[in-house]
Amino acid sequence: MATLLKIWPLMGRRILGNPAACLACKSARTASGSSDQPEVELFVNDIPVSVPPGTTVLQACAEVGVQIPRFCYHDRLSIAGNCRMCLVEVEKSAKPVASCAMPVMKGMRVKTDSEIARKAREGVMEFLLMNHPLDCPICDQGGECDLQDQSMVFGSDRSRFVDMDHEGKRAVEDKDIGPLVKTIMTRCIQCTRCVRFANEIAGVEEIGTTGRGSDMQIGTYVEKLFGSELSGNIIDICPVGALTSKPYAFTARPWENRKTESIDVMDALGSNIIVATREGSVIRILPRLHEDINEEWLSDRSRFAYDGLKRQRLVSPMVKDASGTLVSCEWEDAFFTILDRLTGVTGSEIAAIAGGHADAESLIVLKDLLNRLGSEALCTEEIFPMDAAGTDLRSNYLLNTQISGIEEAEVVLLVGTNPRYEAPLLNARIRKSWLHNDLTVGVIGPQLDLTYEYDHLGDSTKVLQELAAGTHPFNKVLSSTKRAMIIVGSAVLQRADGGAIHAAMSTLAQNHRVKSGCDESWRVLNVLQRVASQVAALDLGYKAGVQVVRDNPPKVLYLLGADEQTVTKADLPSDCFVVYQGCHGDAGASMADVVLPGAAYTEKVGTYVNTEGRAQQTQVAVTPPGMAREDWKIIRALSEIVGQTLPYDNLNEVRRRLAQMSPNLTRYGDVEEANYFKQAEELAKSVKSSLASDALTPPQLSLKDFYMVDSISRASQTMAHCVAAVTKAEAK
Amino acid sequence: MSVYLEKLRHFRLAIKQHGGIIGAYLNFYRTDELKWGDLIGEDKFGNKYFQNRHYFIGRSRWVQYSDAVGMDYDGSQIPPEWHRWLHYIGDEPPTTAPPVKRSWMVDHKPNLTGTPEQYVPYSTVKPKITAWEPPKA
Repeated sequence: MATLLKIWPLMGRRILGNPAACLACKSARTASGSSDQPEVELFVNDIPVSVPPGTTVLQACAEVGVQIPRFCYHDRLSIAGNCRMCLVEVEKSAKPVASCAMPVMKGMRVKTDSEIARKAREGVMEFLLMNHPLDCPICDQGGECDLQDQSMVFGSDRSRFVDMDHEGKRAVEDKDIGPLVKTIMTRCIQCTRCVRFANEIAGVEEIGTTGRGSDMQIGTYVEKLFGSELSGNIIDICPVGALTSKPYAFTARPWENRKTESIDVMDALGSNIIVATREGSVIRILPRLHEDINEEWLSDRSRFAYDGLKRQRLVSPMVKDASGTLVSCEWEDAFFTILDRLTGVTGSEIAAIAGGHADAESLIVLKDLLNRLGSEALCTEEIFPMDAAGTDLRSNYLLNTQISGIEEAEVVLLVGTNPRYEAPLLNARIRKSWLHNDLTVGVIGPQLDLTYEYDHLGDSTKVLQELAAGTHPFNKVLSSTKRAMIIVGSAVLQRADGGAIHAAMSTLAQNHRVKSGCDESWRVLNVLQRVASQVAALDLGYKAGVQVVRDNPPKVLYLLGADEQTVTKADLPSDCFVVYQGCHGDAGASMADVVLPGAAYTEKVGTYVNTEGRAQQTQVAVTPPGMAREDWKIIRALSEIVGQTLPYDNLNEVRRRLAQMSPNLTRYGDVEEANYFKQAEELAKSVKSSLASDALTPPQLSLKDFYMVDSISRASQTMAHCVAAVTKAEAK
Repeated sequence: MSVYLEKLRHFRLAIKQHGGIIGAYLNFYRTDELKWGDLIGEDKFGNKYFQNRHYFIGRSRWVQYSDAVGMDYDGSQIPPEWHRWLHYIGDEPPTTAPPVKRSWMVDHKPNLTGTPEQYVPYSTVKPKITAWEPPKA
């Protein structure tokens, strides 16, 4: 039995090791006052262990490396104690105790492998299986099912269930909770993890239980959509096959998938993901543990938009024929067409726009090429105010406090952002902190459901002025703490008065830092970016915003995955030659004269810097389709054709160049912190533009706006189904 | 002795049939064979069919491919009605017993494998990746 205990993988993750993430510990610790209380000593299988008071028996056992089987216990959720799988024997206790809910007591002698404990588990397992269908061969959870694994290790080899003809097994009608999560409620073992996830992490109180005993059911009370941007996570936390992924249904078994550890680019957080591939196509995306970014959660767009990678793809180069239609051609034809148009064009007549999914490698190669051709007009689609210090000081455009810093913060002020849909996991972090650390949240912007309570300061820019001047009532709240964060959404910085908004918040943040006397390492000003490429592009010296293209209409425009229509045909002279390089046929490819097929984020090794300034790299999960190639290689090949051969031939040499430009871009996994807030604030005083009077409104207001924001998610059918489902639910 | 004279006679007849030494040499170069016989008929592609019962069965009927195909002659250039006679499936050549022409019969086509007009099979499996269709101008 002992060896079996060791090989049982226990879902292959966590268990203590990170007490900060353990809500149970946290609440227990705060309840017992401080952590400097004497530690409690107890014995687990006669091994002595000392733990802080308030720790549960299950955690104490984990401390000495004894894994207790469990279904309902999850260390990021509150304790329910209703599955009874974690029963252990405690000496001088009349009955086995549920170790997940039992706090440790001094001198306790816990036996996890005694006859009583084993018998208790076997009995619990028998009861669970009595009402669980034997449909493992057609169940999508098969191979990654906790019930399957634990019944192999702890279950009995026979069943006493014979009453098939009279009572039969419990059967429950399936629920329709939306296009993402498939429910097979007969398989449910009522662990209530999904209920606790929805109520605690997602903050959507739509899932609950009805009935009791064997009539207990998990559901949404009335048939409705589970309208959360984090809904996919209930698939991961469900220990059985009751909640499975609808798009992935009956696609593959987990052991036949090839798994690639990569980075998500659907928002600017850079969530860590595992891309599962089979037979050369991406079949699902799962979150990967990263305590400082996404913990173990993933937003629905990152998780389910992968089917967009198989649709609307650019699979071969294209050039416009005589009739003006794009037709497929060879790489040489496309390159020589570009060469034809580039000859006789001076450097100042060439410009480039980088979109939201561009990796740092292609950004640097494109920049080097255009600089060699004599052009400085490289910009990003996403605007960032360039007045005063602009993008010269990194602290101006980073989420300086970092995502995990939210857990230390006491006051958070959200300015013109809707983190719930712009960065769902950041919002989950704020909610977590609000629940467990009494975080005070202030919001400037429209009054939205952010899943936590907040002080609404209005949505007019007057509030910003008052805050900067220190006359607003919320200044009192701010001055009461040394741990304040101001998060400015990059959406409102897109406005003409973005510079003034940024300057006002910079002043507020700096005043706060000086007045509150917080330590130097605590940053106050944060900018929440919306697209994955922005920080890397700004680090490399791209100009933020396409104003430079509008001011000097170019003869040749190079779009690197720019699909947001910030520059359209109408903004360009009629003879402007547009080259589009990217992975999807969207707005950018439609206006192009030459299309070069690039790789999507699952098909290349690319460097992305998240909104905190943390460099991370994606890995190749599948090869680019058709004639598509990795983006930096395309530009490198083009440089040779136009006679400006760039001096790097492989990824390492490109990265050496990246490190020359900005060393933080190749320090993978690390956050490169930024400073010079004081200088930035001083420079901000020189901002001339004044605040406009229109309300500060971010573009993503409801769940409907969340699903389709970039070329991949726009091509995804799953995301389209989600939009349709939400629209239908709203119409009801 | 008479055996050798007989061989010589056949050789002379063959050379005569191919229009002299040069013609015979060219034909030998092309087919590696020099035979003489009665012209039974010619199909619409220009292939000529010969028979000489003097040769043993299996070699007594042969085809002289159309000059138009040069060295690129090929068994599949023979239409089915002649194929039938050539392979001794029947003794009546299509010149004396023309095949019944039915409405559903298609014209004979040689095997085009290895040429630009060859048949290339295509996959009927749905592609994993759907490509973007550029808008028509």
